[in-house]
Amino acid sequence: MKPERIDLRGRGGTSLARQVLKTRAREVQRQAAGLEHRDKGGLHDFRIACKRLRYALERFEDREPPLQATAECLTRLQDALGEAHDRDVLLSVLPPTMPQTERRLREERESYVDRASVLWREVQELARACALMRFE
Amino acid sequence: MNWLQRAIRRERDALERARRRFIAKPTEKRLHDVRTTGRRFRSLLEDVADLVPSRKLLARVKRAAAATDAARDASIALRLLDAAIDEGERQSASWLFAQLRQREAEATQRAHRRLRHARFVR
Repeated sequence: MKPERIDLRGRGGTSLARQVLKTRAREVQRQAAGLEHRDKGGLHDFRIACKRLRYALERFEDREPPLQATAECLTRLQDALGEAHDRDVLLSVLPPTMPQTERRLREERESYVDRASVLWREVQELARACALMRFE
Repeated sequence: MNWLQRAIRRERDALERARRRFIAKPTEKRLHDVRTTGRRFRSLLEDVADLVPSRKLLARVKRAAAATDAARDASIALRLLDAAIDEGERQSASWLFAQLRQREAEATQRAHRRLRHARFVR
């Protein structure tokens, strides 16, 4: 998933931070459908978008304390998505002769996706306290 | 903007340090560090591409990350398989363990070869 180009011409300081965060937050929101559909590709794109937003938040978190809390929650969300992704990677090479292992991995994957859904709601809630970043 | 130049230098140096550490001793942990510092740096360059165009550097960072993908996937699959495998199926999966170990070793060697020449600082 290619990142959106951010128009930063003539911007600096807080205005620049707001523009970067706004763009990356919009990308996350756009990809959030992947979390609802729970498919491999959609979850992957959502995870990448979360990662980009998290790095941007960490870069600007000294400008506004609630950004830090949001970034920390995004880290946990990303961890849960990463665990689900790891299971997708292993499931793609697992032979059909291992049905019990496959079942376990699928159950774990679904449980990590459930956890990610809860954390995504938390992230949205935390973002309400941020002046520099909003989910629309 | 001074802060931006400083941020770029700091993250570029972090990636270069991680790369050198991996070249000196190619372990899973050091490969992970190359990936994380690379991702962070790449995201910064993409965020500020309008102010600091750096297409060639960005392409180098992307290539370095791509060079580590296969090694990372094999390491994760190996560790996860070991943790999640049903004990009744372990014996029949010995070939899969062997295959993943071989894939991990080969991919780490490949990443090592490619990263040896991928410098991020002059």
